[in-house]
Amino acid sequence: MNYQSKANKYVCPNDRQLSLRAKLRTGWSAARSEPPLSKSEREAIAAVVKRAEKVDEVEARRVGRLVARLEGMRRSAQGPAPRTCLLCGETSRLLAPLRTCAICRNSACPKCVIDTPPHRSSIYSREQYTCILCAETREMWKKSGAWFFKSLPKYIMPDKKITGRYNDTELAKTLQEAGPSSNEGKTDSEPGSPLSIHPPSFSRQPSKTDSRKSVCLSQDHEWNETDILSHGVSGLSLHRTDSLTQRPLGLKRTSSKGSAYSIRSIRKDMPKTMTQIERPPTIPDAGFGTLEIKLAYDNGTSSVAVTILRARGLIGMDMTGLSDPFCRLEILPREGSYSNRLRTKTVHKTKNPEFNETLHFFGITESDLDSKCLEIVLFDDDRYGCDEMGSATVSLRECLKCPSQLRLALSGASGSEPTGPRLLLALCYSTKKRALVTTVCRGAELPPQDSNGYSDPFVKLHLDPDPYHKKHKTSIKWRNLNPIWNEEFLFETRPTELSRQNLTLTVWDKDYGKPNDFLGSLVLGASSKGRRLKHWMDCIKFPDHRHEQWHSLTDTQHL
Amino acid sequence: MAKTYDYLFKLLLIGDSGVGKTSILFRFSEDAFNISFISTIGIDFKIRTIDLDGKKVKLQIWDTAGQERFRTITTAYYRGSMGIMLVYDVTNEKSFENIKNWIRNIEENASADVEKMILGNKCDLDAKRQVSKERGEQLAVEYQIKFVETSAKDSLNVEFAFYTLARDIKAKMEKKQEASNPPGGRTGAHQLRANEQQRKPTSWLSRCSVL
Repeated sequence: MNYQSKANKYVCPNDRQLSLRAKLRTGWSAARSEPPLSKSEREAIAAVVKRAEKVDEVEARRVGRLVARLEGMRRSAQGPAPRTCLLCGETSRLLAPLRTCAICRNSACPKCVIDTPPHRSSIYSREQYTCILCAETREMWKKSGAWFFKSLPKYIMPDKKITGRYNDTELAKTLQEAGPSSNEGKTDSEPGSPLSIHPPSFSRQPSKTDSRKSVCLSQDHEWNETDILSHGVSGLSLHRTDSLTQRPLGLKRTSSKGSAYSIRSIRKDMPKTMTQIERPPTIPDAGFGTLEIKLAYDNGTSSVAVTILRARGLIGMDMTGLSDPFCRLEILPREGSYSNRLRTKTVHKTKNPEFNETLHFFGITESDLDSKCLEIVLFDDDRYGCDEMGSATVSLRECLKCPSQLRLALSGASGSEPTGPRLLLALCYSTKKRALVTTVCRGAELPPQDSNGYSDPFVKLHLDPDPYHKKHKTSIKWRNLNPIWNEEFLFETRPTELSRQNLTLTVWDKDYGKPNDFLGSLVLGASSKGRRLKHWMDCIKFPDHRHEQWHSLTDTQHL
Repeated sequence: MAKTYDYLFKLLLIGDSGVGKTSILFRFSEDAFNISFISTIGIDFKIRTIDLDGKKVKLQIWDTAGQERFRTITTAYYRGSMGIMLVYDVTNEKSFENIKNWIRNIEENASADVEKMILGNKCDLDAKRQVSKERGEQLAVEYQIKFVETSAKDSLNVEFAFYTLARDIKAKMEKKQEASNPPGGRTGAHQLRANEQQRKPTSWLSRCSVL
């Protein structure tokens, strides 16, 4: 092979070639003149990738075991309390004074700490102790590779089994003893619900002998939820904290002498009628999940009562693959401009929400039942706006049928492009400039704010958190509701930082003599959802490419 | 269950086409050598578990194609690797000069704190040598990267190179963990001080009674 030739395509190009290519906006890695990969080559690469996936899976399982182990330790820990051991709840004694963990600064008894060799540059040169929780966290941080990637890699939790002292027979016995209420507890957690994965939670009756323990228990619970993120090595984030609250808390406790257990239904607020109904047959869904509702028509008040029971298998919207769904209900067609919309409460962090909420539509005559239908749209609740997750339409005639419970397949969001006030935004992370290049292309259907029926819009942009505190503004487009800016702004940042930063855009109406009117806002970042999350991740994943997308603006102002 | 291990380190081999990246990896993973030249298609990886100070370290070593047409695929693997070996051919001046470009390539695509190492391969071919060992060392000093001349054919320094890189990564890991303490500890220190002052009388009394 001749390496001396000027344009050898098998070697790294020289500086000049690189700089020329950089001007083409294609990135120097994109060699356009090269032939595309042949089929056999693609197959070979795919085979390697498949092999790598297997290795990754083994690794994910291993990390999952580490995480499970740590979670187990955390769960069985007592939680920080003054003058008691963080882990075992032991109080300070003369010969065994409590030690302070060098990392979390909580006190722990000598059994629950390990000595660490004194730190060379430490100010606290006396003794260094680390509580076993912090030591374990640190070890996991190391073993999982999170120390390098600055966050836990993806992992697969090992299969859950009921471990501990209470085996199945005993469980069954307690269930029987608890009497009729136990049935309710069982039917609540039907297959497929997130609750059924975990055994029903037991609560310790606060009997005389046990009063202290039960206090501990509730403390423990609280602590797990709030403190788990801040505990241990700074920056460690456990993605599965939400699941902790669903785990049985009492199962691991050891002393069981003379203490009585009772079953508490997992959801006390659940109406009893719900539990008696049999599951309707499953229907195929289009990948957007299913929704179970119940319809009832009341002649006396001429109202339709819609009970939203639950949804299953919704699409994930945020980084963790979970959503915060709520339903918006509307009777269609509308009568005039009067819109009759109702919404349910939001169920947070789940793909299988249990709504169990009844909403009433009044003023529906019997003749309306034949001509009208009910539209249910599921949205993902988000501070920065709502993204549609799916919708279903059902004829109101259905409420006259005898078992009025229905299971609906949700169909995808109608129309991929957003409507209403929106902004066309192009993002590109430029590795050459080491900056996020944000282009505010245009706006559309902005709300009019001035008395002339127009607005004078401009956009403010900033990145948060940004070490340089850069803020940008577009020019003002006078008397325009569909402005075209096409203005480019640079935010210096690193691609690794990008996943922790949010790009906030606010659209304003310029006014003289009075404060500017707010027209809408938009936040893109790893914590945003749906389309915005996808756009942001695309921008991080594929640097040096321009990613253009419309985003709808929200009218909430958050700074 | 498969063999367990304590750490998983992902390494990457880069360098111009034909410098012997695949041969180095083949020597390290299978302890064998193949005289014929088969260009790597895109990417490939091999796994070997080594023992470092009593810890089992699984090395997943990615071998990349040096050819530019695979560049889009190979650069995708920079980000996930904890250590990168830059390989050049001592009998090929051009491949040595290109190390600078490869380093810039790393700076653009890999994590900032990736461990690097330069390998001058084919050092058994002294007759055809174009790049002296001194020049290699000088380059390494310039970039403050470790350097070693290897020969996949004669199995010279190959093991050493991988062990060194793995050890460096491990050392960096330990250091990072140590370093992550003080910020957390310092903020907590103020609280602790306040607590200690309150608690002092009781602890002093109790200690006295023991004595």
